[in-house]
Amino acid sequence: MKRATLLAVTLGLFSFTVAQKVATPIEIGVAVAQTSNVALLGQEQVIGARLAEKFFNNQGGINGTPIKLVFQDTGGDEAGAINAFQNLIRDGVVGIVGPTLSQHAFAADPIAERAKVPVLGPSNTAKGIPQIGDFIARVSAPVAVVAPNAVKQALKLDPDIKRVAVLYAQNDAFSVSETGTFQETAKAQKLDVVTVQKFQTTDTDFTTQVTAVLGAKVDLVIISGLAADGGNLVKQLRQLGYKGLIIGGNGLNTSNIFSVCGRDCDGILIAQAYSPQQSGAINQVFVKEYRAQYKKDPPQFAAQAYTGVQVFVEALRKIDRKKKLNTWDLDDLRAELNKAILVGSYRTPLGVISFDKEGELNQKEFYVAQIKMKDARNGSFVFLK
Amino acid sequence: MDFAQFLQNLLNGLSIGSVYAIFALGYTLIFSILGIINFAHGAIFALGAYLTFTLAVGEFGINGILKNVDLFPGVEGGSPIGFPLALLLGSLLAGLLGVLIERFAFRPLRARGADPLLALVSSLGVALVLVNLIQLLVGAEIYSFPSTIYGSLPPAVRFDVGDTPIVIRTVQVIIFVVSLVILLLLGYVIGRTKIGKALRAVAENPATASLLGISVDRYILITFFLSGFLGGLAGTLVSTSFGISGPYFGVTYGLKGLAVIVLGGLGSIPGAVVGGLVIGLAEAFVPAQFSAYKEAVAFAILFVILLVRPQGLLGRAVIQKV
Repeated sequence: MKRATLLAVTLGLFSFTVAQKVATPIEIGVAVAQTSNVALLGQEQVIGARLAEKFFNNQGGINGTPIKLVFQDTGGDEAGAINAFQNLIRDGVVGIVGPTLSQHAFAADPIAERAKVPVLGPSNTAKGIPQIGDFIARVSAPVAVVAPNAVKQALKLDPDIKRVAVLYAQNDAFSVSETGTFQETAKAQKLDVVTVQKFQTTDTDFTTQVTAVLGAKVDLVIISGLAADGGNLVKQLRQLGYKGLIIGGNGLNTSNIFSVCGRDCDGILIAQAYSPQQSGAINQVFVKEYRAQYKKDPPQFAAQAYTGVQVFVEALRKIDRKKKLNTWDLDDLRAELNKAILVGSYRTPLGVISFDKEGELNQKEFYVAQIKMKDARNGSFVFLK
Repeated sequence: MDFAQFLQNLLNGLSIGSVYAIFALGYTLIFSILGIINFAHGAIFALGAYLTFTLAVGEFGINGILKNVDLFPGVEGGSPIGFPLALLLGSLLAGLLGVLIERFAFRPLRARGADPLLALVSSLGVALVLVNLIQLLVGAEIYSFPSTIYGSLPPAVRFDVGDTPIVIRTVQVIIFVVSLVILLLLGYVIGRTKIGKALRAVAENPATASLLGISVDRYILITFFLSGFLGGLAGTLVSTSFGISGPYFGVTYGLKGLAVIVLGGLGSIPGAVVGGLVIGLAEAFVPAQFSAYKEAVAFAILFVILLVRPQGLLGRAVIQKV
């Protein structure tokens, strides 16, 4: 018995000392929130990633070697994200797309950094994400780049806008950061921010805030929140009589909002890092496939997850052309993959993207969309020039 | 604060407070009979809304086992049965769920004379199972009732106080009226009917009630049915105003319901009503610049009141012989 134990321990230690070879199919990890209240976003990312897996495998995968996505649920908290990352790293994935939220990234990305596993954040827009480490990059444009476009577009639509009300979810780090950008942009555009109202993402009744906004007699309302609270806020603003323009932040940039504010969603302006109308060939394939399966346009979160998988696939193809992937040691391939990601340029559903040496995204195309409701539950984001 | 502003806040507070009241009544009924808190009540609240949505609309999103399912294809505006009947059936089904929870999560523990703390943990387990079951079936999407469920009523009611317009959403008025009717009905059932008397007897002393020929187990089941019915009804009423924001949307209300029954007095039915209205009004009267903290304000009021009256507003002080 003692001998058996000794043998098992020895073998176990031995297995850690032997370099792990790259398995086929090539495994790419996807660690997003499939449960908890963050699942609303994570589910969209799962769909985007799966569509990418199907598309690139139909193309032959990595020069003939198929890819396989390994999904791990991060749940809604940092501990879940850390756990998911650890499991994927132990399973031997070559890289990870994830996590869903920036606050999860700050907790889980250092795990990947220490293990030298490349990570692509699909929807982490907070300041400081690429700076977590050399192996951390993102395909989601930082909020400071995206948000100002919506204010400029609102002024195009109505040059007489003078007075602005700003509302934001104070318990959500992303919304707090986004509202700062919105308020700076408003001031830079010589607009008068007459009232700033806070709420919580868990709030449902916004009568107090709406009453204050109506009393301030504003021409423009800017909301930074998530789909459920933001949509409810829009609905209550409209139902209680506000008729001016409304700008929604990135958290409202999902078709999930349609079912919340229904016809009252009509006319909301939203700055986007993705548009289904982007004319690139790969985006049109993605949109067609998504529409065929889900009968609506793909949301930004699905497109960014798709992009994350695509970047990994294209970087792996480059490496494979120089030296077949199944001949690499896993650790060496992960390091090489990280380098390849950062030097490449990619034609994705988001348009042409690349990365700087820190892993920050360089994206050329941004959009402002206006929601147009077809009926009480179905609508679309109409791309504005 | 001028009178118009006061009136506006009062109406807002009464509307949301009345929902808190009927939701908290579900907690209170079970506590008064068994002396335990049913932590699955928040999940029943959410499930009640989903059940009514299924019966009234029946069109699901793109995630979960029921993805892209449309139960009533070709029927304009959802199902043929109409919203009022769907609300009633959804609430009745939530009541039946309450009965199942009693049968499988509470009764076995009670039969073994287990510590009430185990029942609390058991109900917490049920809550987590239900929430995850919802997500498994219909995903985490937001589901909303179409604005036409209340017919062609205008979205808001307006009237002037002096030269200040008071605006209240029609759905808030409906919620208040329905809640009020339910509270009055329940008051009548508990105060004036045979079932109510038996329930009060079981709550007072189950052993004595049993000696008097009252089937304690049967009335515990009735209590769980009523509790589930009220929870499901409250969930649907709230979701007609704010939408169903996902499987977890009962969690916040669950916590608030606990605050309401503690404030009103554990086990006190009038206390649950008063507690619900007090919390709703306290939230409504938080000034706009602090509105993000309204829940904290509500709980701070709870804390202060408990310092002064540990038994809650209408609870009875426990007298111990020494």
